[in-house]
Amino acid sequence: MRKLLRRPDIGIIIGCIFVFALFSLWNPQQWFDWGTISNIGQYTAILGLLAIGQTFVILIREIDLSVGSVYGIVGITFAGLENSNISVLLSFILAMLLALLIGLINAVLVIRGKLSSMIVTLGGLFFYRGLVYVTTHGAITGVPQAARENWLAQLFGGHWLRIENGFLLLLLLGFLCAVTLYQTRLGNHLLALGGDPASAESQGVPVNRVRTLAFCLCSFFAGLSAIVTLTNEPETNVSLGTGMELESIAAVVVGGTLLTGGRGTILGTILGAFFFTAVRSEMIALGAPPSWYISFVGIALLVVVTINTLLAKRLKTT
Amino acid sequence: MAKTDGTTDSRQPLISIRNVCLSYGNFQALTDVSVDFYQGEMVGLVGDNGAGKTTLIRIISGIIPPTSGEVYFDGERITKFYPKKAIDLGLECIQQTIGICDNLSVGRNYFLGREPTKRFFGVPFLDKKKIRDASAKVVHDFGLRDTVDVDDEIALLSGGEKQTFKIARAVTFRNRVIIMDEPTNHLSVRERAHVNELAVQLKQQGLLVIYITHDIFQIHRIADRIVIMENGRKVTDVPRDAMSAEALEEIIRDGGRTPAKGVKSA
Repeated sequence: MRKLLRRPDIGIIIGCIFVFALFSLWNPQQWFDWGTISNIGQYTAILGLLAIGQTFVILIREIDLSVGSVYGIVGITFAGLENSNISVLLSFILAMLLALLIGLINAVLVIRGKLSSMIVTLGGLFFYRGLVYVTTHGAITGVPQAARENWLAQLFGGHWLRIENGFLLLLLLGFLCAVTLYQTRLGNHLLALGGDPASAESQGVPVNRVRTLAFCLCSFFAGLSAIVTLTNEPETNVSLGTGMELESIAAVVVGGTLLTGGRGTILGTILGAFFFTAVRSEMIALGAPPSWYISFVGIALLVVVTINTLLAKRLKTT
Repeated sequence: MAKTDGTTDSRQPLISIRNVCLSYGNFQALTDVSVDFYQGEMVGLVGDNGAGKTTLIRIISGIIPPTSGEVYFDGERITKFYPKKAIDLGLECIQQTIGICDNLSVGRNYFLGREPTKRFFGVPFLDKKKIRDASAKVVHDFGLRDTVDVDDEIALLSGGEKQTFKIARAVTFRNRVIIMDEPTNHLSVRERAHVNELAVQLKQQGLLVIYITHDIFQIHRIADRIVIMENGRKVTDVPRDAMSAEALEEIIRDGGRTPAKGVKSA
């Protein structure tokens, strides 16, 4: 029991149980409707994938503010290539390579340029978004019907046994990431780097390689999230992903990962994404003005983080 | 021990620093420093703040390259300076503030950077059993509290226990050189005695121990040789028996203006 309470993600586990119970009692008809469930699954996947990438970066004491724009530019590149004569597979590969390249650029600027990741990725946020506007002149067409029926598009955007594939992908990758983080050398190096960079380096942890990998993973997941979005819902626009960087950070932080690094879980991050998505969906279902959701994110963030902090203090003193 | 009878110079030094200078812009941190360190000896590196002790150690540990001069390890000239290189050569620097990650367990800290793995379907996973067993043995052998669980976060250990842990780790990974940078600061009297005892044991096992401190009286009791630095220069390098702690303290207090007579001759 003590071990459970000491988990960094205990706050969000309780929060999710609470939200689930509340909505089940309050509005069971809509809450248990399959359409609602698969909708929540799909949006949890989109936000969750972004947030998993963000978790790696936050775990090593950095931050990536560019993920919303990376999500946008990768998605729009993918959709744009679909409309030319390139195969779906090739456009997927090119779009994901772009994501990895952006991650690499972020890492190089942070490591070689000795710049704060906040500054580097804030620059990225504006730059990549601007690039979308410039290259598309504000008008883009979504993924064409023919391409959506391709096996690869179906793999990311289709469904299996009525469950959205995006959600299954989130569970699969979430599991792999959690295993990597806690059961492998790389995971130990990520946690050590987040806990104390100087100590990690003094023991021979290849800190710059680990940093580079974290930034690349973050952009990679942002790109993947965009692919999941567009193969499922072909209509898009140039503001695709705007504000998603902050939502992803909120999901990570609510999920119990410390902004000071070194402590956090992938499960917490996925639950954080589920929490926000479920509440948004339910607010819409209950007829609350959608704009309330934004205020709710702020309040939820403060409440969950306060609970986490209080619990951590209680456990330290007892 | 045959370190103070004059035979040392005929052996090949394990680490040899020759005419090393280091400057940060206009600031000359080290000026023409030459010093040899031999296997199986404990050298006390003493001097005031800003004397260049830590800078010298940073060069030896591969954190910064010297501006000019040469560094040899076991007779081989070192041309590239980076921390991993020093670690691979078997050199470990034990510092007060760095070396362990407070957010990780005792076992994970023990194997940090050298984690053992076990293949499962070809994928290397952390060998948690080995991590637990090996670190538990070391924790026990080096006299840490019995209540210390290697799965606990290392932040639960006291300052002295953390120092002991770092030394234990350095020893069990068969290092050849242990550099201790002010290892007993902020420690209780008993913890300090324990750490110093460990330092002597390391030397007796044939390791080179470089012990940095402000406390000349403490180091004079345990070291084989004392090197005093001042203003980026080496001012004294004598076997322990050649001078009393009081005389050495005098040199430090004078700021190295009266170099000891009979340097390098016992």
